[in-house]
Amino acid sequence: MNNDNHTNHTAPVLQVDSLNVYYGSFQAVKNVSFEVRPGEIFGLLGPNGAGKTSTLSAVEGLLKPQSGNIHVAGYSIREQPLYARANMGVQLQATSFQPELTITEIIQLYAGIYGVDLSKEQVASILANIKLQDSANKKYGQLSGGQQQRISLVIATIHDPQLVLLDEPTTGLDPQSRRQLWVRIEAMRDKGHGILLTTHSMEEAESVCDRIAIIDHGKIIATDTPQSIIDSHRDLPAVIQASRKGKITLEDVFIGLTGTEVRS
Amino acid sequence: MKLLRADMTTLWRNRRASLLVVLVPTVILIAWKNIVAWKGGPFVIANCVTVGLTAIGLMGYSNTLARDRDKGIFQRLRVAPAPKWTIMTSRLTVQLFLILITTAVLFIVGYNFDGIKLDARGYIFGLLISIVCGALYLSLGQVIVGLIKNVETVNVVTRLVYFIFIMVGMFGELGMLGDVMKQGVHWSPYGTVKNIVSAAVVPATWNKDSSMALLVTLGYTLVFTILGIKWFRWSTR
Repeated sequence: MNNDNHTNHTAPVLQVDSLNVYYGSFQAVKNVSFEVRPGEIFGLLGPNGAGKTSTLSAVEGLLKPQSGNIHVAGYSIREQPLYARANMGVQLQATSFQPELTITEIIQLYAGIYGVDLSKEQVASILANIKLQDSANKKYGQLSGGQQQRISLVIATIHDPQLVLLDEPTTGLDPQSRRQLWVRIEAMRDKGHGILLTTHSMEEAESVCDRIAIIDHGKIIATDTPQSIIDSHRDLPAVIQASRKGKITLEDVFIGLTGTEVRS
Repeated sequence: MKLLRADMTTLWRNRRASLLVVLVPTVILIAWKNIVAWKGGPFVIANCVTVGLTAIGLMGYSNTLARDRDKGIFQRLRVAPAPKWTIMTSRLTVQLFLILITTAVLFIVGYNFDGIKLDARGYIFGLLISIVCGALYLSLGQVIVGLIKNVETVNVVTRLVYFIFIMVGMFGELGMLGDVMKQGVHWSPYGTVKNIVSAAVVPATWNKDSSMALLVTLGYTLVFTILGIKWFRWSTR
């Protein structure tokens, strides 16, 4: 599926322009634009119902936006969806693999769908790399949450995509698994993958993201590096009020910008 | 092919559930041994094949579809470069394979336990027509999954519809529920399928009524397929 004409390592791997998503008369995403560059971890942060999932779903091609353009590695998600999908790897929080299949079978299935031919030795090597070599014949449904996340991440990158989408990848993981996952995500960035990550963890965003966008009520209200966002908002009264430890953190800025009200 | 192999593996790993689908018509077939002399072998085998097809479409297909949709398995496949039609075609191919297996098992059990002997044309025609008729129940299962999002509700509704179909169908066909019901059942999805299968296993008995039943079956299938595709959502969220 890769086409060399579209491969330009300086161009963004994901370009979202003026995206608008409606559910009936409710506008979930309002004129959202951003880009993810190669070798960059871009965090999309926002409270529940802010428009993160709708934006991500539009990028994945699961939802048709009413207007706007999305290009993955130069391919329009609307006009060339299969090419766009072939150039992205996805780890979705609310999805699963067939619980009856072994993890070896799942890896072979998805490798096949992405047009990657893997030998048994290569599958064994992949599993050894994520420390699941002893679970090769275990069914997916028998794995722990952390092990399932590792498989999910491996499958998201099995075809060496230019863009990797990670939807709250560390939710439900213990601190060890979470740290391990961060290391893996950073390794993907070092290999040149562009990564779009959604998370509710400000600690995670501050630690691993090169740039972040804060989205609220369907609109992007801030985009920059985590430190720049902190620096440019640290004097806002709402941010100072949100600060609990004297030192202004990304979480304080996030709450200062999006409010203290709990969203459903 | 990888997707089809994965779906076949899933079917094999769930073989206990598939066995139950085959077991019910098999038990009826054995229990109806005495009816063979009264109503004839083709009548009995056709009723049992119809019950089997109903079970596959309503109990097997619709429940796995609802479960996999709820777990997000379809959404995971959809974000990969797998066209939607390949995902569904693979699923349906597996069900058609199960239909062939079920029909073949019933032919074998019918021969060995009830002494129902058909000629070679009857067996071949019966197998082929079971696929055509099975499509009706698969499309009906699709409609149910299109209408209902909740997995448990799909499970309950399909069991209920299955029970009503086989009870009203079998007893209605035998005339135990009155003449009006007998006529109604005759043109219901149960009756038309039973009628076609009954004629298919003895091709010499295929007549105008069988052709009309085939047309009605194809009509039901077309309508259910259109509604099933229209109402089906890949995600429950």
